[in-house]
Amino acid sequence: MSTIVPDKKNAVGAATGARNLAIYLAACLFVGFGLFPLYMMITTSLKTDQQTFAWPPVWLFTPRFQSYYNALFVFGGRSADHYLFNSLVVTLSSSALAVFLGAMAAYGLARFRFRGNRDVAFYILSTRFAPPVGFIVPIYLMVQRSGLLDTQIALIVVYTSMNLSFVTWILRGFFLEIPIEIEEAALVDGYTRWQIFLRVALPLVRPGLAATAILSAIFSWNEFLFASILAPGDAATIPVYLAGFSASMNIDWGEYMAVGTMAVLPIMIFTLALQRHLVRGLTFGAVR
Amino acid sequence: MAASKRADRRTALLLIAPAMLVLVAINIYPFIYALYISLHTFTLGRPTPPRYIGWSNYRDLLDDDRFINSLWVSFKFVAIAAAVEFLVGFALAFLFSAKLRGMATLRKLAILPIMVMPLASGLIWFYIFNENFGAMNWFAFLLGAPHRIPFLTDGKLAILSLVLADAWQWTPFVMLVMFAALQAIPEYVYEAAKMDGLTPWQTFWRVTLPLLRSAIWVVLVLRVVDAFRMIELIYLMTRGGPGGATETLSWYIYSTGFLDQDLGSAAAEAVVMIIAVSIIAQIFVRRLNYGAAT
Repeated sequence: MSTIVPDKKNAVGAATGARNLAIYLAACLFVGFGLFPLYMMITTSLKTDQQTFAWPPVWLFTPRFQSYYNALFVFGGRSADHYLFNSLVVTLSSSALAVFLGAMAAYGLARFRFRGNRDVAFYILSTRFAPPVGFIVPIYLMVQRSGLLDTQIALIVVYTSMNLSFVTWILRGFFLEIPIEIEEAALVDGYTRWQIFLRVALPLVRPGLAATAILSAIFSWNEFLFASILAPGDAATIPVYLAGFSASMNIDWGEYMAVGTMAVLPIMIFTLALQRHLVRGLTFGAVR
Repeated sequence: MAASKRADRRTALLLIAPAMLVLVAINIYPFIYALYISLHTFTLGRPTPPRYIGWSNYRDLLDDDRFINSLWVSFKFVAIAAAVEFLVGFALAFLFSAKLRGMATLRKLAILPIMVMPLASGLIWFYIFNENFGAMNWFAFLLGAPHRIPFLTDGKLAILSLVLADAWQWTPFVMLVMFAALQAIPEYVYEAAKMDGLTPWQTFWRVTLPLLRSAIWVVLVLRVVDAFRMIELIYLMTRGGPGGATETLSWYIYSTGFLDQDLGSAAAEAVVMIIAVSIIAQIFVRRLNYGAAT
């Protein structure tokens, strides 16, 4: 009951002690539930083939890195590093493009009055809600006809557009927070509008650029649906490669989890770097 | 002055045009193209050109049991998942607001699942739910289950297993957003409530909840829309089975288009989905405060 209002006082006494213990227990339980699947993924990647499907499950074992070795160096065709590299190329290109184009549009929407400004801003935001699976058929045919199937270009363009909605909306908020006087002063100093954008406004929203870049990178890195349809072969990204495992009858769980771990951990590290603007980014500035 | 205004307008246009160009190419044009395809018979990988058939693809949808079923499954999944994620996440936001030592660290650990690649999360849960050697069955055994539980191969259980995997990833998201919204409420609001003699329960209903309204709104819409589009967990864990029990609209469109290769019908289903989601999105977007620098 008393947790209804966040308690800001230092609590003393037996009753609060018991209450705090209960809070810790509940929090740890939830954290445990959150971490358990990740623990399973990492430990399974370090087990032998026999241990991965033993009953009862093996909890104590000597870790072995054979699965990582297999995933990276021993494989019939391409090995995991090829697909990790594809993911890296697509992620970096599409995030850079989305942030750059998004920053331009955001600045245009935040600083210039023109008819339809509001409609354009809302339209751009509303594309965040477009269900990817609803667009997959026409986009597949468009990509096929332009001869870009199984290329990184197709994925880069699609991911750029996917990220533009929230990048533009969030950066628009950041630009609106800059006092207009700073830019007016620059205008008086003889800067052109473009110079003000590039040299005055952009540096001032650096935290916003960082946050949107990292969020774009996370979305592009994790995206599966478009990747599986548009680039199923040589240009496949890591989630597509990962999905390929589940198609085989005898799943090599160790190797599967090793690739999964390599696909997930880089993003975890990213998250820790993001912390400060995570909420603002995920809710397009509605909550911060 | 007039000249500089015209120059301003040109600058604005140049700034916005590239982004709009990308969105027209990847959002507006494909939607129109989907409408066009949906009026044709169109089979993937067959050389015969698409043939115009009017609204047949849409009329067929009304008689298509799988389509009707997929709407129902989608509704069930979205309703249960969004409700569980919201209620648990909201409660946890209060829990994690407790000013106790180590809480900040626990919070950081709690939100880690948000960033996991959805396909990888499907992979992990597929392993955990395995009927023969999965950890979930081991826990069930420890709790005294008389036999193995078919988490993914029983119709009723499969959808709940998907909800659990989805909730694992997104409850922390609700918690994180609601926690941030709670922190944004200034201390004096609670002090005033206390001075007015409100009980904690009254404070929650009359003070806290109204102040959280916009955050609740954002979180709910995002969870509903994203649960509706979710496809990765189904792809890895159930592939729509058993017997269509987990065949959501997303999965049905995917399988009509790229497993059955019937692009015309898939496009018709897609148009229905896009319109449904657009309505939800419009309601939401209209409510966002446009003027404020948020």
